[in-house]
Amino acid sequence: MSRLIRSRLQRWINRRIPRSDVQLLTQRNLFILPTTAGVMFGMLLLIMLITGINYQNSLIYLVTFLLGAVFVGAMHQTHRNLSGLELTLVLAGEGFAGDDILFRLRATAGKDEAIALILSADDFSVRLGHVPSGQSMDVNVPVPSAFRGYLQPDRIRIETRFPFGLLKAWSWMRPVSAGVVFPRPIVAPDVISTLVNGEEAASSCSVQGNDHAELRPWRDGDMSQRVMWKRYARSGQMVVAQWEADKGSPQWLDFNAFPGTDHELRFSYLSWLVIERGKSGARFGLNLPGQVIEPDSGQAHATRCLRSLAMWGEEKPRGALAEPHGTRRNVDSTKAAAKAGAGL
Amino acid sequence: MTFWRRTASEPDKQADSLPSLALLWLIASFALLLTPQLDRLPIWLIVVCISLASWRWLAQQGHVRLPGRWLRTGIMLGLVAVYLIRVQGSFTVDTAASFFVLAVGLKWLETRTVRDFYVLFYILVYLATVNFLFHQEIHWALMNIGAIALLFIGLQVLNAPELPGGMKAGWRRLGIMLLKVLPMVVLLFVFFPRMAPLWSVPLVSGEARTGISETMRPGDISSLAQSSERAFRVTFGGAMPDYRDRYWRGLILDTLDDGTWRQSGYESGYERGYEPDRAPGRVDVDGGVGELAPREYDVLMEPTDQRWAFALKGSEAASSNVIEESDDVFRFRRPADSAVRYRLAREDTAQRIPPAALKAEDARRYLQLPAAGNPRARDLAEELRRKSDDMGVVRALLTRFREQPYYYTLRPPKMPDNGIDSLLFDEKRGFCAHYAGATTFVLRSAGIPARIVVGYQGGESGAGGEYLIVRQYDAHAWVEAWIEGQGWIRIDPTAAIAPDRIESGLRDAVADEGSFLENNWMSAQRYGDVAIIQWASLQLDRVNYQWQRWIVGYQGQSQLNLMSRLSGGFGMRELGYLTAGIIGVGLLIAGLISALQARGGVRRDGHGKVLEAWHNVCGRAGVPVRSGETPAALAARLAVAEPVTADCARLFAQMINSHYYRPQSARDDNDDLKRLRRLLATMKRQLRRAGKIRTIMFWPAMLRPAMLRPKPHSGKHRD
Repeated sequence: MSRLIRSRLQRWINRRIPRSDVQLLTQRNLFILPTTAGVMFGMLLLIMLITGINYQNSLIYLVTFLLGAVFVGAMHQTHRNLSGLELTLVLAGEGFAGDDILFRLRATAGKDEAIALILSADDFSVRLGHVPSGQSMDVNVPVPSAFRGYLQPDRIRIETRFPFGLLKAWSWMRPVSAGVVFPRPIVAPDVISTLVNGEEAASSCSVQGNDHAELRPWRDGDMSQRVMWKRYARSGQMVVAQWEADKGSPQWLDFNAFPGTDHELRFSYLSWLVIERGKSGARFGLNLPGQVIEPDSGQAHATRCLRSLAMWGEEKPRGALAEPHGTRRNVDSTKAAAKAGAGL
Repeated sequence: MTFWRRTASEPDKQADSLPSLALLWLIASFALLLTPQLDRLPIWLIVVCISLASWRWLAQQGHVRLPGRWLRTGIMLGLVAVYLIRVQGSFTVDTAASFFVLAVGLKWLETRTVRDFYVLFYILVYLATVNFLFHQEIHWALMNIGAIALLFIGLQVLNAPELPGGMKAGWRRLGIMLLKVLPMVVLLFVFFPRMAPLWSVPLVSGEARTGISETMRPGDISSLAQSSERAFRVTFGGAMPDYRDRYWRGLILDTLDDGTWRQSGYESGYERGYEPDRAPGRVDVDGGVGELAPREYDVLMEPTDQRWAFALKGSEAASSNVIEESDDVFRFRRPADSAVRYRLAREDTAQRIPPAALKAEDARRYLQLPAAGNPRARDLAEELRRKSDDMGVVRALLTRFREQPYYYTLRPPKMPDNGIDSLLFDEKRGFCAHYAGATTFVLRSAGIPARIVVGYQGGESGAGGEYLIVRQYDAHAWVEAWIEGQGWIRIDPTAAIAPDRIESGLRDAVADEGSFLENNWMSAQRYGDVAIIQWASLQLDRVNYQWQRWIVGYQGQSQLNLMSRLSGGFGMRELGYLTAGIIGVGLLIAGLISALQARGGVRRDGHGKVLEAWHNVCGRAGVPVRSGETPAALAARLAVAEPVTADCARLFAQMINSHYYRPQSARDDNDDLKRLRRLLATMKRQLRRAGKIRTIMFWPAMLRPAMLRPKPHSGKHRD
């Protein structure tokens, strides 16, 4: 029964607060209720009134009415704290599954200043102090993630209890834009890419005689193929060669390199590999079913690869009013459009 | 500025998060709330409260630690034990209030979390309420309300530790809020129906009150003469009576027993007119507020914890909360444990019915004397009796007092055995109570029914001469004797001995002795000759009198009087409806205001407004903005439609874009805004020249129809 009520309530709220990256808080979408402290305060007022009646004490009546009126005034003030405030999702963050993804919100106060705001998503809450009227302030709200893919926070709650904590006014923001959650990196087993680029397989680091090798001590996570085994046999030191040749001969990270493994696990392996390659500055390409990213190096490339790992096979979530603005990609294209417009 | 935490953090974590400033306000409020109680609370309790609060503060500062659970329990049990020993089983409202204070004090050690803070807030508010039971003067009321205001400041700090704008903003916010709700409070105060008490709550405080008591030993009243506390205040509808006629009769003492005068018939605990069944048992403190008729007078009496009311001779009750008793004295139905206002009317002397003969049982009562003692006084009575009739005896006695060297003094000698004899024949020094007792004794010995009347005589004018203040040092005792054909007549031996006392008051009567309020250094009346002190004291009293009369004393009767003056047929039920109506209308108005403000609040920041204006301009130029269209797209369309504006539009769109998507830090909003406005103006000019729009109208933002529709996405972009 309570579940039914809750789901009804949920639907009602969702109807009232459509998904959007910009949320202007007005009477339509603001909720206000007394807090526990407020309910207790009401009971206190009742006791005071009874005391006043029983002792026929005018001053107790007076103070009771005064406090009651202050409560009403506080209702007004609490409501005004949020009313007119505009919440904008500035940046939907990226991160690895299991981490908290930061969503950057910008709160712009309306005519009245907004005081003691608390933003929360799931069980995280962030205290956003005080936004003077007409100004704005950015805040990062962490949203916990579990799986790879798009992360669209169901609701981000904004709440205030100022001035007296007797009442709470709150609203939700239901962003359209989704954050991107990369697969959680898991150390990949040594594999051989099935995709061979010319004569050079990724594994065939037949490197003897190559003078351009940079040698460095082995560290955790280095692929065994790259250990100078001969050198090891001689000196007992694990040394890894970083071949100049690497940069010229891209390695392919391949989805199909892990036969028999669960898909999600493969993404995790690939994620780890991408990070590793990104760190070492190696050139690499990514081969996913239906999607190939040409070899390249650098941080931007790694991020791009991670994104396609995150998004592969995932449907981009859309809100009821599908207005896909606010994501980075859209920002970029908007800028591009603006630039294009300027170029006309 | 921002930090994050798990909401479900353990409560221990929050212990440190109570802002020191909030706690400080709470402690300040506690100190303020204790002040009115200082005279009632035992010293040890005050010391305990101060040390517990200081402990909490030092702990907050990190100097000491708050006690653990066991120590805390120990302290609590210990203090409660001390309290119980001190109280020794006498449970009155007074001791209950002390216990409440102790509980508040103990709570300081437990204030660790936000929830504890709120608990402390509630009990401090209630402590203010309890204070109102004991003190209702305006300065105490202001102090209590001030303490509550401090609590609300504390709450603000608790809820926003960085309190924007600092304390000043906090006070301003609270002040504005109070101003806004004040009309509502006033309406509720006036119209909320004053119901009868729901159940019986006697407010008998354990403290001894200054005032006359129901028995009189010679010397009782002279100790009262050292107090300048107010007894009551009187407003007359007509002219004030002369000083010498201001005899305020309180109670009648008719039985002499072992040197003590007392009331007969009251010893058994039976009191006439007392209605213990009449639930609930509280004195009716309100005597109504109608216009005073010329013969009427209003008495506002300080609490006495007794049932008697003070009245001029020959008065009748004009308000329902006093009842007249057989001896021409007035009583309340319940002991006056709060200030009571009642109304009396002086009878028309011309219409006074000649008194009938004294009933036999009354005659017996007023002739009662102890079997033995004071033989010389009895001899004197017999001697006077032989010479003349009743009236002659009275005259002779008064002549004796006037002509022989009797002294009126606040420092009478001790007269332990046969006190009346030694007063009349040896010492000849005494206070009003001595002489009244002796006179009654002599008259009764001479066979004339006589009784002692205790009350007050005199009273000084309050500021502006609007009312009379009668103080404890005006306490007086005199005699009434039954003279056949005339009824009870007043005989005041003090008037014969010290006419000054009756004509102008105690100060003048004992001026030579210098004993006026000699033990009372704090009293303003002691310095009656210093004009400024006297003036200040009277002004304060005037303010308090009006406060007491109109605010504190505003109870059922006044309310009904007031309502009946407004329009006919205002009863309790109508008041109830009216109150509900006021609350409803108040909430409605508040709702409307907030709705209007919210509508106003939709107004955007500067950029939003400029964008809105641009959209309007585009609309008038024939390129209405489409839902969700980006500024760039609109600019492009505008450029196609109106090539003259192309550059401006593009630049405008670009700037808008960069405003919304540039990092916040890199902005110079004001400059941006100026340029945007200039661009907008240019576009309008260009369009006007092109003849596209004729008049540029600046609608006030509020009236613009577009604003009335919620447009959550206007100004935002879509590809």
